[in-house]
Amino acid sequence: MDFSILPQVLPGFLQGTLNTIIYCAVSFPLALLLGVILALMSGSRYTWLRGPARIYIEVIRATPFIAQIFLIYYGLSTILFNLSGYLGGLNLAVYVNGWTAGIAALAINYSAYEAEVFRAGFYSVERGQTEAAYSLGLDARQNFFRIVFPQAIPLMIPPFVNDLIYMLKDSAVVSVIAGFELTSALETARSRLGSDIVLLFLIVMILYLALSLPTSYFARWYERKLRAAL
Amino acid sequence: MQQTFVKSNIERKPRSWLSLLDYVFYAAVVAALVGLAFYFYHYRDFVSLYFPVFLGGAGLTIFLTISSMILATIFGFIGALGRLSRFTPFRFIAAIYVEVIRGTPILVQLLLWGFGIRSALGGIGFDPYTIAYNFMTLLQNNSILPPPNVFDAAFYGIIALSFNYGAYLTEVFRTGIESIPIGQTEAALSLGLNSRQIMRKIVLPQAFRITIPPFANYFITLVQDTALLSVVGGVLEIQQLVTAAATANASDSNLQLFFYVFGAVMFFCICYPLAILARYLESRFARAY
Repeated sequence: MDFSILPQVLPGFLQGTLNTIIYCAVSFPLALLLGVILALMSGSRYTWLRGPARIYIEVIRATPFIAQIFLIYYGLSTILFNLSGYLGGLNLAVYVNGWTAGIAALAINYSAYEAEVFRAGFYSVERGQTEAAYSLGLDARQNFFRIVFPQAIPLMIPPFVNDLIYMLKDSAVVSVIAGFELTSALETARSRLGSDIVLLFLIVMILYLALSLPTSYFARWYERKLRAAL
Repeated sequence: MQQTFVKSNIERKPRSWLSLLDYVFYAAVVAALVGLAFYFYHYRDFVSLYFPVFLGGAGLTIFLTISSMILATIFGFIGALGRLSRFTPFRFIAAIYVEVIRGTPILVQLLLWGFGIRSALGGIGFDPYTIAYNFMTLLQNNSILPPPNVFDAAFYGIIALSFNYGAYLTEVFRTGIESIPIGQTEAALSLGLNSRQIMRKIVLPQAFRITIPPFANYFITLVQDTALLSVVGGVLEIQQLVTAAATANASDSNLQLFFYVFGAVMFFCICYPLAILARYLESRFARAY
């Protein structure tokens, strides 16, 4: 293997790694926020709240992420461009790029999965707790924020960390639209150098492992601690 | 006190005036479906032109999924045996396999197999197409093989997908086997069964039930992950055809968007029935014997 190419490709790879982290760090909180709203909607007693949330979750989970990212990238720019006539020539489509479309796609895709985690977490808090809270005179809001939510959080952290690792890996798909992250850096280096590409793959895989392995060990450590505490 | 208790009754009956909004939701669903139908009707020329092509792509997607899943099951079973082995080297290799595969994106692995390993193996004279061609010639059936570049792309795509899913299935099988209480093994040992009989007659039949639901879920995600083959190219599955059609019509951005919608709808039509089936299996196998 020819290690002399390292100085050429390493800056791009490190920049790509940083961008991958930024993609996840921005998208994941957004996905959590959307997810908790969806989870509360799908637990509602009204069909007009439950229905849209269920349809959203089912549709997102039954389509590939790469199809969604193309749809959002081209869909957003097309719709915003079509709307620019109504907005007095204000063309919002210029703001659709690898960053905005990539983050939107990651957040939208993962919100459906996080909603299911939230739902399972809320259900795992015993019904008796809610009944006790009501009998003590707490209302539905107090019951949710003071009784159910705080008890559900520790149970939800391991699946959240797992989903964060999945997001880290799925952010590679952002390279198919104009986003620049670690896999895009790999593709750029691969097309530029052409030869000895297995080494490039090795470096990129090590960088991905450097991000995902500590995270997954944290999840496992936390799960062990949690199981001991319960 | 009495009043508070009555106010926060646990039944929580829906309020009637808010329930009326349900009908708004039903109307919106009908309107959305009619809108989608009209959207497809608007592009009916392209639907009639491309639908047969995409249907062929769907067939290829299902073929890729099933063949990858069969291979992945073999990889996963070997991996699970490795992880549960008494010999530390086997355990170590299996652990490295699982950690490396699960810690890196499947897209990078597809690119690695499709470009890196393909060219590296080609450099030392390994040519899967020629091997398959000679084999099929022996069977007098070499005309059913696709062209060499398509065959090679599909070959390395299936290897990459199954190698990836094998790592996930390793963990599924391992947890399935480990979930069988050790008392069962002890009871079988005391009845005089040897370790192979215990595995085959006691542990695996019970572990099988537990592995069915996650297996079904991985099958659905595998259908979706075949779409990533379009990044490597060469295999004409749905997403590849959709991207090609969209790129060919890139001058009309509305039409380009329509193709992506079309592709997503096709994937939904494959994956959603599978998801319902997976949910049924989950509830079926959650019940006791």
